[in-house]
Amino acid sequence: MTQASATGRAHAIRLRLRRRPKVLTLFVWGYIVWSLAPALIAIAFSFNSGKSRSIWQGLSLRWWTDGPGSMLHNDVFRGALEHSFTLAVLNVLIAVPLGIGLAITLSRWFGRGSGAVSLLATMTLVVPELVLAISLFLLFTQLLDIVELGTMAQVIGQVTFTLPFVVVITRGRMSSISTDLEEAAMDLGCSPLQALRLVLVPLLQPAIVASVVIAFALSIDDFVVTQYLSSDASTQTVPMLIYNTARGSATPALNATATVLVVVTALLVALGGLLYYALSRRQRLGAAE
Amino acid sequence: MAGGEVRLAKLVKAFDEVTVVDGIDLHMPGGEFFSLLGPSGCGKTTTLRMIAGFEQPTSGEILLDGKNVALTPPHKRNVNTVFQGYALFPHLSVFDNVAFGLRRQGTPRAEVRRRVNEALAMVHMEAFAKRRPAQMSGGQQQRVALARALVLKPAVLLLDEPLGALDAKLRKILQIELKALQQEVGITFIYVTHDQEEALTMSDRIAVMHEGRVEQVAPPEVVYEEPSTTFVADFLGTSNVIHAVATQATASGCEVRVGEFELTAGRGAIDARGETKIAIRPERVTLEPHGSTGPNRLAGMVERVVYLGNANQIIVRLPTGEALQALVQNTGEKLAYEQGDPVRAHLPAEALRVLADTGAAEIEEQAAAAA
Ligand SMILES: Nc1ncnc2c1ncn2[C@@H]1O[C@H](COP(=O)(O)OP(=O)(O)OP(=O)(O)O)[C@@H](O)[C@H]1O
Ligand SMILES: [Mg+2]
Repeated sequence: MTQASATGRAHAIRLRLRRRPKVLTLFVWGYIVWSLAPALIAIAFSFNSGKSRSIWQGLSLRWWTDGPGSMLHNDVFRGALEHSFTLAVLNVLIAVPLGIGLAITLSRWFGRGSGAVSLLATMTLVVPELVLAISLFLLFTQLLDIVELGTMAQVIGQVTFTLPFVVVITRGRMSSISTDLEEAAMDLGCSPLQALRLVLVPLLQPAIVASVVIAFALSIDDFVVTQYLSSDASTQTVPMLIYNTARGSATPALNATATVLVVVTALLVALGGLLYYALSRRQRLGAAE
Repeated sequence: MAGGEVRLAKLVKAFDEVTVVDGIDLHMPGGEFFSLLGPSGCGKTTTLRMIAGFEQPTSGEILLDGKNVALTPPHKRNVNTVFQGYALFPHLSVFDNVAFGLRRQGTPRAEVRRRVNEALAMVHMEAFAKRRPAQMSGGQQQRVALARALVLKPAVLLLDEPLGALDAKLRKILQIELKALQQEVGITFIYVTHDQEEALTMSDRIAVMHEGRVEQVAPPEVVYEEPSTTFVADFLGTSNVIHAVATQATASGCEVRVGEFELTAGRGAIDARGETKIAIRPERVTLEPHGSTGPNRLAGMVERVVYLGNANQIIVRLPTGEALQALVQNTGEKLAYEQGDPVRAHLPAEALRVLADTGAAEIEEQAAAAA
């Protein structure tokens, strides 16, 4: 083989590699459509003027606000929405500060890249959610009398599985913050606690935003733990509502309820994403005030 | 400026059984520019961190103006640090970085503004007050870090290789500025560096450290001209260190034998006897033609001539197998020696030192006597 033909061949291979394979592109787009289509179709049918959730009969707000069977006029649907958001907000308010505090404490005692945190993170991936749900259920019904099934138990359950996510996110951010900064703060007159508040916490802002979004989304999404730890109809969330009524005689009002949930969550994620981007950019580039 | 006196007494720091700082005794009077010089890992940073309060000594005392602060937390010490990586707060502007310490003290707004501007002016950074740390070069960040520490008017300023990350030219400029600044504010600077040139240019006194101990404490010219131990002679630039046997006292010092030659050494540990080492700087060695006579001369052969620009470095191989460096100034004339020429090396008694690896205390006494 001559030198020229060898380099020619190598060049051809490189070209072929650089060209994006059409099959792969097709697959990616196919996947996106496949995963989004059902949700989009479900959303569309919430605007159906007929009672069917599969045959399109024209556009109306009958199932949203107008008719007697609409979401707005259905206490069960409204209650589920309210409860979903209540749980999500409580989960954020408890899991985020707790997780960040835990991450800071762990890194202080075990070093910033410690194994204890990694263990905590993998633990919850290894333990199936159903197992967690059942053990918490048994705990609250058999052993712990103070906690009754219902909102309180649901919040405790959700915080339990949300915490590791917050810890991991926070730790990731902390590993990029030099310990010099806290020492500098103390050198300039801060007590250790002040150094935390004035230097570490502001620098953790992007991690806090990301944790809020994750905690909210995890709560909204959750079915297993929330279902197990619920008490009566008043502690029903939207996923539970969908599960309980979808197979029966559901109307497009159910689609409307789910749509509210999806849209609010999507907006929050988008907002959080923008804020995260802006904050980490600001800290990196340091846009002057 | 009152105060700023630092005294370290039998200071020891061990991390998990490993002793990193091994009994340091140092005294820095107020207003001194004091350097800790030594190779990587010798415990300079650890010593500095103990003075700052980030590490607690395993044993020993740290006296700040007579008060033992060994167990006082950092925010309660009248000492400030300039970190090697600057450690500026990335989320705050330059102004807020410098104002940080003042605000912790509850200084009134107007005074914060005035003092921050003053401090920034001192380091020529007034124009940068609104910038964020990431929008500045390393040298600019270094100046801000300095202003941030100095604005609090500490009694002692600790600096850990503050110029380590900068290019050679900027370092030279900042060395001069730092020294001028120290003289202006008149506070004690304790400066950590592994760069001997930096320490020699700026310091009033230098402590040369080695494996957690202080080998010599003295003004720059003494450390340079009269290294008291082999390590110091070796670490401070190229010094010739030759094995010798000290035999007896003479009128002008001590008689030492190098191979079959007998020399007189007029400096250093002239009371030493037996196996020892002698040292001489290359610029003090003069070369003479083969056959010249006189005391304090060694025979050798030119092994290599290295052109350095302003001088020629000539390496002479001694009969004992050791190499001796001589530095001959470049006067424009042709060099008299070439590779392979037999020569005589003259080592003047007043430039020849007997090295002794004595303890630090003894050396400090010597230095005090010399100063
Ligand atoms: N927190 C720690 N735990 C264990 N060992 C440490 C710790 N800090 C420092 N050491 C060890 O102590 C020794 C001295 O470290 P130190 O940072 O004081 O050296 P240094 O003289 O400042 O060196 P350099 O010029 O490289 O900065 C090193 O061997 C280092 O590994
Ligand atoms: Mg160091």
